[in-house]
Amino acid sequence: MSFLSGIWNGLRELWAHKFRSFLTMIGIILGVASLVTMVAVVQGLFRNMTIFFEQSGGIELVRVNDQEVPLEQLNMAALSPGRTGVDAVAIRHAVPLAAAVAPEVSIGWRNVQYSGKRMGVRVTGTTGDVLQTNLLEIESGRNLSDLDVDQASQVALIGSEVRDNIFPTNEDPIGKRITVHGLPFTVVGLIKHYEFMQGGRNALRWKNRNVYIPVSTAQKRFTGNEKLTGLAIRAVNADSLGDLVSQIENVLLQTHRGVEDFFVETREDQLAEFKKLERSFMYSMGSIAFISLLVGGIGIANVMLAVINERIREIGVRKAVGARGVDIFMQFLAEALVISVLGGLFGLVLSFTLVDVLRDFVPSGENIAVPGFALAIGFVFSVVIGLLSGIYPAIRAARLDPIDALRYE
Amino acid sequence: MALIELEQLRKTYHMGEESVHALDGVSLEIPERQFVAILGPSGSGKSTLMHMLGFMDTPTGGRMVFDGKDVTHINVTQRAWYRCNRIGFVFQAFNLLPRLSVLDNVLLPVVYSRELENKKHARERALEALERVGLTPRAKHLPSQLSGGERQRVAIARALINHPRLILADEPTGNLDSKNVDRILSLFGQLKEEGQTIIMVTHDLHVSSYAQRVISMRDGQVEKDFLQTPRLSGADAVAAGGRL
Repeated sequence: MSFLSGIWNGLRELWAHKFRSFLTMIGIILGVASLVTMVAVVQGLFRNMTIFFEQSGGIELVRVNDQEVPLEQLNMAALSPGRTGVDAVAIRHAVPLAAAVAPEVSIGWRNVQYSGKRMGVRVTGTTGDVLQTNLLEIESGRNLSDLDVDQASQVALIGSEVRDNIFPTNEDPIGKRITVHGLPFTVVGLIKHYEFMQGGRNALRWKNRNVYIPVSTAQKRFTGNEKLTGLAIRAVNADSLGDLVSQIENVLLQTHRGVEDFFVETREDQLAEFKKLERSFMYSMGSIAFISLLVGGIGIANVMLAVINERIREIGVRKAVGARGVDIFMQFLAEALVISVLGGLFGLVLSFTLVDVLRDFVPSGENIAVPGFALAIGFVFSVVIGLLSGIYPAIRAARLDPIDALRYE
Repeated sequence: MALIELEQLRKTYHMGEESVHALDGVSLEIPERQFVAILGPSGSGKSTLMHMLGFMDTPTGGRMVFDGKDVTHINVTQRAWYRCNRIGFVFQAFNLLPRLSVLDNVLLPVVYSRELENKKHARERALEALERVGLTPRAKHLPSQLSGGERQRVAIARALINHPRLILADEPTGNLDSKNVDRILSLFGQLKEEGQTIIMVTHDLHVSSYAQRVISMRDGQVEKDFLQTPRLSGADAVAAGGRL
C-alpha cells in the first residue's frame, strides 16, 4: 500500500469518526496554537526591546562615566581635571579603535524659541560625532563642523519635534535664527524624524526632541568651565570592544594624571542580560507549549491503540489478501499522521486568532506578528508528534498474526 | 503436474509440557482444476491444513510444494506475496471491510499486489469479477446494504481479482441459508469448470457433496480421500430434468 493511499485511507477513517477524531486532535490543536502564539508574543516583546537597544546606540556604544576617587588616591584627587574636552581630543587622536568620540555638555532643559513660538527642550553641547554615537542622520542642512567647535559658533542642530513645535508648517528651518535660553543660534541642520509606534506612543520620541550645539559654545555660554557631563565613544566594531576599553583607559589615565576618577562602561552586560531574559522567556513558555503538544501526542497514541483493537479483524483481512507487515504499519502511521497534521494545521489557524486577541492585552502588542519560522516549527512539531505517536500502535498492528486477527471477535 | 504437493506435513503446537499434533504427517497431491472439499469435525486439523495451504502459517515438519516450488521455509514477506498473488480467500464471515464500497473491497488485493499485471486495468477486472458473481449493479453499495449471500459473492469476486492459482474457502456457506448455500456452491462448481482450482473446508457432508474430491480428516491425518460425482445444483438438476 502506497503512503498516499494510506493518507487517503486515514482521511476516510477520520471522516467516519468525526467527533472522536476532533477530540483526539484537540490536544495537538491547542499544543501547536500555544507554541506558535508563545513564540509570536515573546518575539514581539523582544523585538521592541531590540529596536530600542539598537536605536540608543547598540552594542558598539561605550560611555566614560565619573566615579568616586578610590580611597588610596584621595590625596591626589585634586590633580585630576575630571572629564574635559581634552579627553575627547586625546581619545580621538590616540585610539584608532574609536570610530567616533562625542563629548557631551548637557545644559538641561531650556527654552527654545522662534518668532513667538517656544518649547522646552534638552540642549546638549557636543561635536559632529554625535550623529555616529547617537545614531542620528541629517535630514537637511549640515552637521556641526570642527570649525563650529573651534570658533564656539552659535549654531544648532534641531530634532524634528522641535521643528514641528516652533516653526510654522512648510517653513524651512535651515538658516533661521532661533533663541536658546535667550541667546541667538542659527539652525544649520535638521535631524531626521524617528518613529517606532509602541502601545500608541512613539518609543523613539526622545530622538526627535533634542537641540545640539557645539561643545565649546555650551561651555563658554552656559556652564562656564571645561568640564564634560558625558563622553560617548563608538567602537569601529563590536569585536574590538575589549581592546577599545583598555586603550581608552590608558589614554584617560594620562589626561587624568593617574587618578581613577572615571570608568568605561560598555553595554555588553546589558545585552547579555537582555538575551538571557529572552532565552528564559522562550524556554519557559516553549516548554509549557511543548508539554501540551506531548499530551496531544499521547492522546493520539492512546486513540490509535484503541482503534487498532477495534479493527483487528480488518487487519486480519488485509493480511489474508496479501498485506505485508510494512503495509499495515504504513496504514496506521499514515492515520496517526493525518490526525496530527490536520490538528497542527487547525492549530496554526487558531494561533492567528489567539495572537489577534492577545494584541489588545499585551503591552506594545501592535508589534506582535506570527513569524514564519514559528509556523514552520508548529507544523514540523505536529508531523513529528504524529510520527512518534503512530509508531508504537502501528508496530503493534503490523505484528498481528493473520490467523489470530481473523479469529478475533 | 500437481498444483500442490504435501509430504508428511506436520504442525505441532507446544502447550507447556504437552505437544499437540494439529497436523500429523499429511501427504497429498492436488492437481489443477480440481474442486476439493476437506471434510472433518472440529479439531481434526482441517483448519490448520487450510492455513498451511493459504500461506498463513508455517509447518513444523515435512515439505510443501506449490506450483513446482518448495515453499516449506519461505519467509513472512514471501508468504504475503503468495497470499496476494496466488491465493484467493473466501471466509465464513465474508470479512468485507465495512467502510469500503463493494468495488473497493474487490480491489483490496490489488492494493497490496506489486505485480504489474495485477495493477493494469484493475477497475475493469474488478467489474468483470463482479459480473461473474452477478453483482455489477451493486458495485457502489456498501457491504452493509447487501444480503449475506450477496456479501459472500462479493468476497468471491475479491478472491478472483488477482487471478489466483487456488481459491481457499473456509466454511463459505456456514452463515448462509440453504438457497444461498446452493447458489454459492454452484458458483464454485462453475468456476471449477472454467479451470479454477478450489479447496473448500467444511464439516458439512451436504456441502462437501458439491465437490469432485473429498478429503476427510481425523486427528491431524487424512482418513479418507476419494473422488465422487459432484451433486448438481438445484437449477442444474431442474435443467437436467428427467434424465437423472
